[in-house]
Amino acid sequence: MPEPYRVGVDIGGTFTDLVMIDTRSGQLFNEKVLTTPDDPSVGVLEGMTKILGENSVNTDHVRHVIHGTTLVANAIIERRGARVALITTAGFGDILEIGTEWRYDTYDLFMETPNPLVPRHWRYEVPERIGPAGDVLLPLDEDAVAQVARQIADSDVTAVAVSLLHGFRNPVHERRVREILKAEAPDLVVCISSDVMPEIGEYERTSTTICNAYVLPIFGRYLKRLTGGLQRLGIENDLFLMLSDGGTVHETTAADHPIRLVQSGPAGGVQATSVIGELAGEQDVLCFDMGGTTAKACLIDSGEPLRTTEFEVARVYRFKKGSGLPLRIPVIEMIEIGAGGGSIARVDHLGLVEVGPESSSADPGPACYGRGGRQATVTDADLVLGYLAADNFLGGDMPLNVAAAETALREHIAEPLGLSIVEAAWAVHETVNENMAQAATIHALEKAKNISDYAMVCIGGAGPVHAGNIALKLSLPRVVCPPSAGVASALGFLVSPTAFTFVQGGVVALDELDFAQVRAMLDAMESQGRELLTAAGTPPETVRVEHLAAMRYVGQGYDVEAHVDGTILAGDNRVGMRETFERAYQSQFGRLEPEMTVEIVSWRVVVSGPRPTIDLGAARQSGAGGSERKGERQVYFGPETGFLSATVYDRYRVTPGSSFEGPAVFEERESTTIVPPGASARVDAALNLVIDLPAAT
Amino acid sequence: MKPGHFSALQVGVAWHRFNGLMDETAQTFVRTSFSSVVRDNWDLAVGLMDTKGRQFAQSSRSVPSFIGTMPQTLAVMLRRYPVATLQPGDVLISNDGYHGTGHLNDITMVRPVFRGDRLIAFMGSVFHTVDIGGAPSVDARDSYEEGLTIPVAKIVRAGEENEDVLAFLTENLRAPEETLGDIRAQFAAYDMGIARLLKILADERIDDLDALVDDILDRSEAAMRRAIHAAPDGSYRDEIMVDAFDEPLTIRCEVLIKGSDLTVDFAGTSAQIAKPINSVMNYTRAYSAYAVKCAFDPVTPNNDGSFRPVTITAPEGCLVNPRRPAPIWARHLSGHYLPPVIFSALAPLMPDRVIADCGSPLWNVYFSGHQPNGQRFVKMFFMNGGHGARPHQDGPACLSFPSNVATVPIEQFENSVPLLITEKALIPDSGGAGKFRGGPAQRVSFKVTSEQPVTMTIRHERVKFPPRGLLGGAPGAPGREYVNGERIPAKVRLDLKPHDLVVFETPGGGGMGPPAERDPAQLQADLKSGLVTEEGAARDYGVQTTGEISGA
Repeated sequence: MPEPYRVGVDIGGTFTDLVMIDTRSGQLFNEKVLTTPDDPSVGVLEGMTKILGENSVNTDHVRHVIHGTTLVANAIIERRGARVALITTAGFGDILEIGTEWRYDTYDLFMETPNPLVPRHWRYEVPERIGPAGDVLLPLDEDAVAQVARQIADSDVTAVAVSLLHGFRNPVHERRVREILKAEAPDLVVCISSDVMPEIGEYERTSTTICNAYVLPIFGRYLKRLTGGLQRLGIENDLFLMLSDGGTVHETTAADHPIRLVQSGPAGGVQATSVIGELAGEQDVLCFDMGGTTAKACLIDSGEPLRTTEFEVARVYRFKKGSGLPLRIPVIEMIEIGAGGGSIARVDHLGLVEVGPESSSADPGPACYGRGGRQATVTDADLVLGYLAADNFLGGDMPLNVAAAETALREHIAEPLGLSIVEAAWAVHETVNENMAQAATIHALEKAKNISDYAMVCIGGAGPVHAGNIALKLSLPRVVCPPSAGVASALGFLVSPTAFTFVQGGVVALDELDFAQVRAMLDAMESQGRELLTAAGTPPETVRVEHLAAMRYVGQGYDVEAHVDGTILAGDNRVGMRETFERAYQSQFGRLEPEMTVEIVSWRVVVSGPRPTIDLGAARQSGAGGSERKGERQVYFGPETGFLSATVYDRYRVTPGSSFEGPAVFEERESTTIVPPGASARVDAALNLVIDLPAAT
Repeated sequence: MKPGHFSALQVGVAWHRFNGLMDETAQTFVRTSFSSVVRDNWDLAVGLMDTKGRQFAQSSRSVPSFIGTMPQTLAVMLRRYPVATLQPGDVLISNDGYHGTGHLNDITMVRPVFRGDRLIAFMGSVFHTVDIGGAPSVDARDSYEEGLTIPVAKIVRAGEENEDVLAFLTENLRAPEETLGDIRAQFAAYDMGIARLLKILADERIDDLDALVDDILDRSEAAMRRAIHAAPDGSYRDEIMVDAFDEPLTIRCEVLIKGSDLTVDFAGTSAQIAKPINSVMNYTRAYSAYAVKCAFDPVTPNNDGSFRPVTITAPEGCLVNPRRPAPIWARHLSGHYLPPVIFSALAPLMPDRVIADCGSPLWNVYFSGHQPNGQRFVKMFFMNGGHGARPHQDGPACLSFPSNVATVPIEQFENSVPLLITEKALIPDSGGAGKFRGGPAQRVSFKVTSEQPVTMTIRHERVKFPPRGLLGGAPGAPGREYVNGERIPAKVRLDLKPHDLVVFETPGGGGMGPPAERDPAQLQADLKSGLVTEEGAARDYGVQTTGEISGA
């Protein structure tokens, strides 16, 4: 194997993380450089140079660079995308602005709605009409399109989104509009809804198409700079990108579908926890990722994260569902709540402790950072309770100010509620844990899963500090804390398969389903997918194809997705289709409606290559040796036990096979793992710290 | 845990979980429901009441019509079935408009919650069914014409469905599958919700739920009292005109603030009429309480405690407190005027806490007829007007207020009925002028594509009296409706012929503050976007434009 190295690169808000693996030995190398927000490719290339140079790796030994980035999400959040025009069916240019007409907060008279990405003077309408069955009711007025194309060409618009009513059923008009636009103005970027997301629902489809057009030019320029830079470094091999659904694609595919990268970093984190969980012998894993401003959770069943096509980007109001721009793209299904280490705690108007979603962010940061922050945050509470040590934050590089934390807690929580400072800190700690536990429980219930069947794998800086207590609330059996949890996303890129998902919507009653037509449609998507993968270097014989159908009872509006067995499709097996649906429905809702008929809402085809395997056991250098025990400190575990003396260990010095009794603290540079009393911890072959929790009483 | 001695942390955690549980239960109902009105419009609420019948949690995504109605309905139910007659697994049902939410289309169900053999709470829900039998129409003269009244009954007895009650429903409803599908979806939601409630009580070691409810309600009450107390004492009055039928009607309102108590009184309001726009007291109370909550304490999760300091009164026999059997089917045509008249009464006192009139009462249209395959259909489509301007911001376009119903996607609607929507667009110059402009209204057009006639029913307001501006803001545009270009009455039931074109223009939101104070840059932006035309700028803002937009 001439090119043994693979590199994962994740651009975060502050740092760009790199993880490199030598596929011969399984050895892993980490690197961290500052993110360069003006041109993120600068940071990536700097990191590449560093990681290769410091480990004396020749650039022509690099087989894959796999990359995830917040660039797409940030471009939308910060409104830095292209000037986009929208072309719609005549009469419907304002659909984008009218939206669902629903107020996501019933009582707030001043709730904010997101501004549309396309201002009204750039919305164009063309006479045409496709009917609900996909039939052409009014032919496209091509002269009108040409006229619009010339107007757009004369404006300073650089990208166009085309979204026509029922265009997902019959793309003929959208495609023709694109041809005319390209003929009149060859330089324009054109995205059509039937390519971007062929599913029913004009508002969401239009929004998705616009977002794709909005980020496509900026993302394309970025990719060019990055690939150019990599080539200058001497890396000739292909660049891959991480999509929001956990698959990776060749850069050329990503360039056409940039909106599918909107969650690419977090998706990498989930993929990493999936592999870490599997190596630790866990089938079903709750991925828990807690950082500075938010916490995310995701359920992973038998190594496969739950997925959805509903997403919302750039929420403008307190992370509230409904306050962002809706997207329909394949994503790993995650819940995100505004609760991280920097989340601000206060006493609300009801005399209760409230934590988040407001955050002190990195600057000024929590009161204990001593940079002028005066509000009480989760980190301040963790410090007062002994979960964090003043002299070991960032390996001791950043001393924390306990007095400042106490002052903030006293002023904002303890005095208003008549509590001691420790009680106040505990109330903050418990409230934020409860918020996360409840969010995870609701998420599991919505998916008809029992949360206590899952083992938690925690990543993110604040994850291992809170994981133990949250897991106790959820009655989870175990928590797996991997080393270097901070670079989990970049590691996740290295273990994600090359994959692409195709979706085609169109409501058809099961009784009227034309199996031959469905097979032809699915085959077309499959062969397109195989082409993509083969071009990306995936050996054809390793390609896996899955068919999924979203179905519901006629009259319902929400569907249930299920894998459809190939033999059912090949055999025109209507009964088998119904059984497939009913199994999924029963498991989600616990009941069936035998008299009701069934319809199919949409089809999904997932074409994927094999998952790259990494031997993390071999990959990680074993403990640095020497005494792992650093001392003891007092840690608070609630009013019943009060402060307990916990042994403090150096995480870098623990060796596989060793075990410890709680309460215990494991310190590493970027995080601290807390083992609650009654729990025990052991170190597995991959240097994961596995916390076994006492059974719920 | 000692009763009555809950720490702020314990209350906070348990309350948070109760509220989350209600949202989850509502979500379970919605995801398995069979009607668009539940699924797309969320015309439903789920609530928890303690053994004293006090509501302490409610689903957050509920239309305001259901604020505080469940305890009222529960009290009536318990008169018929006292606590001693209730068993685990029972479900009580009623849709009596005068005891419930103001019309027969809302069905309330309540299931007692037992812990062992001890009754500890009630879980209830309300949902809207599009059809409830009878012949509800804008011409109904009493509530008996408006459909089936389900008296208080046990629709489920100890876990067994009561076939007699189901048979009454099946025989009286035009689309019983849809309504029964929704009813059974709620049974499943109760099962899930109650199991979870019991787990929360066990996890949090709550033995005496009623004592915890005391605490929750007390805190909510205290928050509302503080907010009311911060406003100066006094009496604030206003009135609003209702289009109604031949003769306009008036809703008169006085808001009386004294210390930490607030009374809303509707003395002086027009008498009830023999047309279905009377708002029964429960509905009047719900929308008045909603307005007070929005203005004074929008943040506290909805529960009875917030409304202890608030009294709502109206003379018996008036439009907003009719006597049985006044017709009530379209009670929102008066009830939706209550928030704006309360806001305009409060505006001089707290201009930063209220908004100008929105383009409501809620506009909708019913279409009924036969599909090409002969199957019957009844479909409702909601169209909201422009939103009222805010103290520091323009009103958003087309938001549902004071109700809160989402619209159905056009592509879904066209899949289910033989009609095409041919336009859904914002209307220039429809938002009331002001320092802050009202939200623009929309034009929605429907074309009949079937070869058979389609019956259409509408009942719209704000056609004679457009949404008012506030504090010097101008009114929004009045609503309009046309068939094939001819104006039609705002409240009518008529048969559409094949290829007929129906056009609705919803009312625009009222403006806030004098138009002369509008920031010229914002007016320029409106001209550029086309939401204000040059003629509109000249007429409404007194600004002449040359056709050249400066700064564009």
